[in-house]
Amino acid sequence: MIDAIKSVIVLGASGAVGSLLGGLLAQQGLKIYFLSRTYEKAMSGLKRAVAQGRSEVISRNIVCGDYEHHLEIALNEADWIVECVTENLEIKQKIYEKIDLHKKPDAIVSSTTSSLPLSKLPEVRSENFKKHFLSTHFYNPPGKMLACEITSTQDTDPEVYNFMKSFIEHKLRRVVIPTKNVAGFAGNRIAFLLFNQITVLAEKYGVEILDYLIGPYTGRIMPPLATLDLVGLDIHKAIIENLHEHTHNDAQYSFVSPDYINTMIQNGCLGNKTTDKGGFYKKLAGGKLMFLDPATCDYVPAIEPHFAFVEKAKHKIHLGLYKEAFDAIKTDLCREAEIVMDILCTYISYSYSLIGEVTEKKCGIDGIDKVMSYGFNWAPPSLMVNMLGGKQCVLELLKEKKYDIPEPLINSLEPEFHISSAGKYFLAR
Amino acid sequence: MDDNRVYILGGYQTDFARNWHKENKHISALMREAYYGSIEAVNIDPSDIKAAFVGNFASELYCMQGHLGAFFVDLDSCFTGLPTCRFEAACASSAVAILSAMAHINAGIYDLICLIGVEQMKTVDSAKGGSFLGAAAWYENEADGIEFPFPKLFGKLGDEYDKRYGLDDAYLAKIADINYTNARNNPNAQTRNWFMNYEHANTVGKYNAPIYGKIKVTDCSQITDGAVCLYLASKDFTEKYARQRHFDLNNIPYILGWGHTTAPIEFAKKIADSAKNEYVLPVTRQAILDAYKRSNIKDCWDLDVIETHDCFTTSEYMAIDHFGLTKPGESWKAIDEGVIQMEGKLPINPSGGLIGCGHPVGATGARQILDAYKQITGTAGDYQVNGTKRVATLNIGGTATTNVCFIVEKCPLHH
Repeated sequence: MIDAIKSVIVLGASGAVGSLLGGLLAQQGLKIYFLSRTYEKAMSGLKRAVAQGRSEVISRNIVCGDYEHHLEIALNEADWIVECVTENLEIKQKIYEKIDLHKKPDAIVSSTTSSLPLSKLPEVRSENFKKHFLSTHFYNPPGKMLACEITSTQDTDPEVYNFMKSFIEHKLRRVVIPTKNVAGFAGNRIAFLLFNQITVLAEKYGVEILDYLIGPYTGRIMPPLATLDLVGLDIHKAIIENLHEHTHNDAQYSFVSPDYINTMIQNGCLGNKTTDKGGFYKKLAGGKLMFLDPATCDYVPAIEPHFAFVEKAKHKIHLGLYKEAFDAIKTDLCREAEIVMDILCTYISYSYSLIGEVTEKKCGIDGIDKVMSYGFNWAPPSLMVNMLGGKQCVLELLKEKKYDIPEPLINSLEPEFHISSAGKYFLAR
Repeated sequence: MDDNRVYILGGYQTDFARNWHKENKHISALMREAYYGSIEAVNIDPSDIKAAFVGNFASELYCMQGHLGAFFVDLDSCFTGLPTCRFEAACASSAVAILSAMAHINAGIYDLICLIGVEQMKTVDSAKGGSFLGAAAWYENEADGIEFPFPKLFGKLGDEYDKRYGLDDAYLAKIADINYTNARNNPNAQTRNWFMNYEHANTVGKYNAPIYGKIKVTDCSQITDGAVCLYLASKDFTEKYARQRHFDLNNIPYILGWGHTTAPIEFAKKIADSAKNEYVLPVTRQAILDAYKRSNIKDCWDLDVIETHDCFTTSEYMAIDHFGLTKPGESWKAIDEGVIQMEGKLPINPSGGLIGCGHPVGATGARQILDAYKQITGTAGDYQVNGTKRVATLNIGGTATTNVCFIVEKCPLHH
């Protein structure tokens, strides 16, 4: 068992997570190998790492290289190999084979995958590899999102797991959330259920209206469909499919995407990475913003929706009157306010229902609160219980809306409200 | 004398890393959070508050909103009719609000004053914000038509030190590094998750561009949105407060002494006036000496911690010798010997100061006093300097034009 990490290999160092995570490690003064398919790609990752840290001096801790010429040399030295390569099981397993052959016996290997089944990754590897393998799921971009879900497999040495947990928490100063080895871990499981529900609703009500209704004022940094444009529709689909295959689905909590998502992907409308083709949003050359029409997969001009309850809630938030904002939503009887309440109720009930399944039961809602806050910048579920009037009110609301009442919510303590940890989640936008 | 003590019952600081403009929040939302956070932290009955004072520099410019005292009344229905007032002295705005609160308490006019220091600065781009800050100098003479006037004026302070005593830039880089390092332990510090080290602070590059003279980007404090709410109380009120909550009165910090001086507003005149003085800014030195005298303390070595006004690394360099940690012009020695670091003989800015924690101009003086309170009550968490009993703060407005020094301690010490 190693007692310190001095040298790290980042595999997939040209990607967003690889380069920015590698940059964070370099900021700590560690020696970091940025490896990619080509040296040039690794260098592009280094540039990102420098821009993230806003300092050229961190590049002095980074060595760039490619898999073919430099992996073996770097493996002789590395204490931790963090794999951030493309979300493809075959590609990952191929690179693990090489790592297994050349890594130091006590070097730790972790994957940042969020959409592949963790146990499959080291399937045919040596006992030593399996013992030193775990998942470290850093949220993107790692410099801004502090959450890291850490998960062991059945073969991970508990000492390795505890060592990495401590290293990431104390050396990297991340918010570590221990999660169980389940699809999507905690954060993606909850967020993507919501995203999926919103894509379904968008088919009926429109993209612009859904992002207006479930906008930042409801406790998130970005509107949900704009967030999916940032994630990429292809990634979204992969995560949804993985969750559909590996989790329990029912009418209330479904991971079945509407068909138009497939059409978007076929059309190459993947979001921000295909700016020319668009995603849910499309910016025309002159700067005019268009929105996807899910019925035709064409783009339509903005209609600039305006609902009195939304505007009232935003105004209350503008003045720092957060609870009054949610009173405005709760007391409005229009269908659109009901949609907002449905989404918030799904968020609360699904989050509480997963206690014990995605995180340890004894931790209550704490881990889920942390990952939604530090991984997505969403108001955590327990805060939303508070905003909707407290536990009793929420239980009655869920009953009225015919949701399954999660046991952990019934058994939970009344969440405390602290303005210091509440206001930042609600934007008057 | 003891009966005239003004006690600090505690308070609340907003997270200085937040951008309230991006959140599309009104400046009154900042005040609201500071106030409600403080009620939670200090456990005050709002109906006990007799007056509310607000420290703010330039909300008319940044937010097109003046008359901030009036917004306090909106915070609770019981405040209608409450006397309120807003105070302004550039970056020392909330320090002068504290001085006025002390005078009102000492005169027996009010026994509990709620004080909010607030500034929302991210409403405009850095060039426009820099120009607004120029109003803290003599605008026509020192800022009009000049891009980023303040880094230039404090660059000149570095030049003056260099001329009189010699000043190696490396010491300024070390000051920046120490403040950023301390800020990492402060959960409300603006830069707590930023990258910084001595090497970066001491290197000129794309991300650490020179601004003027010895001032680079890393030598500057931050543009910050933030508010701090404090409670200042008479001895009678504090005794009652402590009794009801089963607190030991001896553990509640109070303001032991203060110094308040004003120098000519133009920086060039300050420097010309001090040409024959061993201190570069003698009027600032006088505020510190007055505070020592009123506190009946001999020198800086009777202090455990200093929270100083490091709007630029040069102003902290100045504070080191002006507080008396070294002879004039020898601040570098205290830096070299590690005196001002967390584990040093007299740590400066455990909070991270204005460079690390942030500088919402009108809130900074109040933030310093709240940090003094935290250090003395042992509630500073990861940036606690163990065993702190006495703290000095120095809040300056403009180019060290308005100077306010407070000494805060808890009872009883040896004098």
